[in-house]
Amino acid sequence: MEKYDVVIIGGGPAGLAAAISAHDKGAKVLIVEREASLGGILKQCIHDGFGLVRFGEKLSGPEYAERFIDEVKAKKIDYLLLAFVTKIERENSKFVLSIVTREGIKIFEANALVLATGCRERTARQVFIQGTRPSGIFTAGTAQHFVNLLGVMPCKKCVILGSGDIGLIMARRLTLEGAQVVGVYEAKDTPSGLTRNIMQCLNDFDIPLHLSTTVTRVFGNSRLEAVEISKVDSQMRPIKGTEEIIECDSLILSVGLIPENELAESVGVKSDGRAKGAVCDNTFMTNVDGVFTAGNATHVNDLVDYVSESGEIAGANAAAYKEKKRELTDVNADKNTLYIVPEKLDRNTDLSKVIMFFRSSHVMKNCTVILKVDGREVFKRRYQNLKPPEMERICVDFSGCALSKDSSVEFSIEEG
Amino acid sequence: MNIDKLNARLKKLFDGRVTATLTDDSIVLSGSLDRWDDIVLACKTAVDKKSGKHVVNDIVLNGREIPKTRVPSINDTSLDGLNVDVLVIGGGISGCSILRELTKWKISCLLVDKESDVACHASSRNDGEVHPGIDLNKGSLKQHYVLIGNEMYDKVCRELDVPFKRVGQYVGISKLWLKPFVRLYVLQRRLCGVKGTKIIGRRKLRKLQPGLNKKFKFAVFSPTAGCVCPYNLTIAYAENAVTNGAKISLNTFVSDMTVENGVIKSVVTNRGIIYPKIVVNAAGCFAEDVAKMAGDRFYSIHPRRGTNSILDKKTGGYVTAIAGIKGAKSTPNTKGGGILHTVHDNLLVGPNAVETYEKENFATDAESINGVFKKQSITSPLISKKDIITYFTGVRAPTFEEDFIIEKGHKTKNLVHCAGIQSPGLTTAPAVALDVSKMCVDMLGGAEVNKDFNPVRQGIPHLADMPLEERDRLIKQNPDYGVIVCRCEEVSKGEILDALNRTLSVPTVDGVKRRVRPGMGRCQGGFCMPLVTKIISEYQGCDLTSVVKGSEGSVINYSHTKEGK
Repeated sequence: MEKYDVVIIGGGPAGLAAAISAHDKGAKVLIVEREASLGGILKQCIHDGFGLVRFGEKLSGPEYAERFIDEVKAKKIDYLLLAFVTKIERENSKFVLSIVTREGIKIFEANALVLATGCRERTARQVFIQGTRPSGIFTAGTAQHFVNLLGVMPCKKCVILGSGDIGLIMARRLTLEGAQVVGVYEAKDTPSGLTRNIMQCLNDFDIPLHLSTTVTRVFGNSRLEAVEISKVDSQMRPIKGTEEIIECDSLILSVGLIPENELAESVGVKSDGRAKGAVCDNTFMTNVDGVFTAGNATHVNDLVDYVSESGEIAGANAAAYKEKKRELTDVNADKNTLYIVPEKLDRNTDLSKVIMFFRSSHVMKNCTVILKVDGREVFKRRYQNLKPPEMERICVDFSGCALSKDSSVEFSIEEG
Repeated sequence: MNIDKLNARLKKLFDGRVTATLTDDSIVLSGSLDRWDDIVLACKTAVDKKSGKHVVNDIVLNGREIPKTRVPSINDTSLDGLNVDVLVIGGGISGCSILRELTKWKISCLLVDKESDVACHASSRNDGEVHPGIDLNKGSLKQHYVLIGNEMYDKVCRELDVPFKRVGQYVGISKLWLKPFVRLYVLQRRLCGVKGTKIIGRRKLRKLQPGLNKKFKFAVFSPTAGCVCPYNLTIAYAENAVTNGAKISLNTFVSDMTVENGVIKSVVTNRGIIYPKIVVNAAGCFAEDVAKMAGDRFYSIHPRRGTNSILDKKTGGYVTAIAGIKGAKSTPNTKGGGILHTVHDNLLVGPNAVETYEKENFATDAESINGVFKKQSITSPLISKKDIITYFTGVRAPTFEEDFIIEKGHKTKNLVHCAGIQSPGLTTAPAVALDVSKMCVDMLGGAEVNKDFNPVRQGIPHLADMPLEERDRLIKQNPDYGVIVCRCEEVSKGEILDALNRTLSVPTVDGVKRRVRPGMGRCQGGFCMPLVTKIISEYQGCDLTSVVKGSEGSVINYSHTKEGK
């Protein structure tokens, strides 16, 4: 049984960044990746726009990943490919991992874990689309895998449901490959994706975006033949009488991402917070001592740059991890906040530079973000625009607040 | 049977638009009505079980076109001129189990099915319960076979290497005053031959199934109830039959028959004309059509839809058995559905029951799912629609008498009907297959026993369920077992290749999915579908664009990208 200080599960952007930062802190690190190469979902994101925050330049997904992969290789950090963690057990404060590989089951021991397991896409059935089960219904990521990695076209004429970023990117990609994108339909009354993607992927290609409209039914026995769309009310319930049938051979879904934490849950990690991912403190440690979370497994990010940043924080803290008592204070958020990460602060750590990510629960203009500890303001920033699709990052200094176990930390977004 | 009385009732109900006439073995209804539900009502009104006559429905549905049977487009001569001892029409659980039992004799057997795999209709679209038979009374074929079939399950599933768990069934009752009546009912069940059914009190129920409704005062527990994966069992029967010499031809549609002097001489298909000595009609919803072709239509099938939902495995602990409720208003002709902990540790919720004239309408609807959830939330308040990963609709094939028809043809001599099969048809199949195969052999005038018959089938190993040492050993023999393709169900490339390399190979995404489960998990194939598609294309040596989802024409990729060309 080989021993590592830190084992990182997932070789996507979060895992790669975590590995490098843990290594730089002197830890012996192993990355476990289930696919045949490192890079995670970036491998199939051949469009540009990655790295603007981090590198100040526009990179494609594979280019962005390559910078980290090169570093991992240069630093001779160990990694396993086509390796699948099937079991994690706790033995005397260490973690024992059983990993399925082509050579057999390998057992490793780790002092700390970083779970950088990413997220998965919500499916047609999970948004209650009714009707038959023909081929031609794909999540945007699946369609992207076919087009960008396997070089095949899964559609000729498609309808896209959901204005999430991958859906918008695929609208452009499929158009460039000669498919007809009839339109993008979004149940919400505002787009779910980044504004720059609405501009560059839809407007530039004259692809219509229909808000407050959803797909309710699919038709076709072998291949999809048509979809039924309906207008929805403010509660996103379809309005009777507004149904319209649109002929198409494909339905591409971009209806949300779900952090993948099934492995985390198997070791007792809780993911019951507002961010829907693994709940963590300011060191990105979960409720389970020694288990850290990073990237889209913590919350769904819209920029990979922030995924890398969370990986770095998690990796560095995992490298430094020693068993010690944690003293946690909850970060409470108001109803204008969709979520804030981290959801907890460990009073026994350095709280002078706490990186926090948040989203507003609805579109807000000219508003102020305020963080208060025991009623005292510790952070304040004005925003001209806040919207759920666009995540914001702040850095807060809590070091002067003398947090105690009775302290209350309140995050709010106020109009005006 | 008083036909005048019946006609008087029909006249009262439908104003003279429906009339009944008697034939040797049927009560035939004719006329025309505007609503399918009225046609069902008319035919139900005509049922007279004591007469031994079956209701045949010739009532025309006004203003609606009954959809034509979907048929494969392939046309070849692969079966042309074939002489077989027994031809089985229909590759569901009935047909496949009959085919396997027939291979115990030295006779030639062929099974045809119009779909691209076996178990495509009702046999893959049910809840997989192996019923204890508590809701059936003496006198019906269902009741006769359910007890024998249930007992056979351990042996059959052991032989065919199919997971089967006798998890037991709980029927929760919240009204304490019902207890004396239920006690009598349980006693009567025992007299009917059901083994082990008993009442368990509130405290014990709470301990055994803490996820069920806390308002249940007691429950009827049937320990013989179990669950099985219905399509796995059907596929296993089919594979074992093929191993023992039977032939299966898929994408094969029976379109006509030549019948002379009450004997089927030949059967016309899209793959050529077959010359069978005996024909077994196991065509599910299409059994009536086959009976008609054979000149032996003495019953009618009225399709009935049912929808089930599958929940994420995370919810598996809510109910670890089969559970349901006995309400005052139980829906007729269905056991009322329930919550079932499947052999794969998901929860299945359903089904409901809706009459339809469409035999192949498998489209789901929100109403069915909502209705089922509303009802089953009483069984366990823990279930939530948020945990649904998929849902599907199946169509049952009942007769108006709501009993099976397992008998030789009335007018046609070389025909055996295995029709009207609905719940508990999965449970009864092993027992029915024994009887039907014997009928066939009798009709052939006896046959030599097949001494080489091997009852044992080795299934595809599911490595995720194995102890790590064994898993390690298998991976070292075959490294592909160490490459995980489906992350949700932990299915390896080796298992997928095994599925493609079976005696009955169905190289489609669905064919693989039904055999080794990639795509059955919470991401529903989002991650693994492209990978499975690639593995199939490599195995078949065909282009990626040739791989289909399931049925003919279910193309996944149309062409190559500009760069991919």
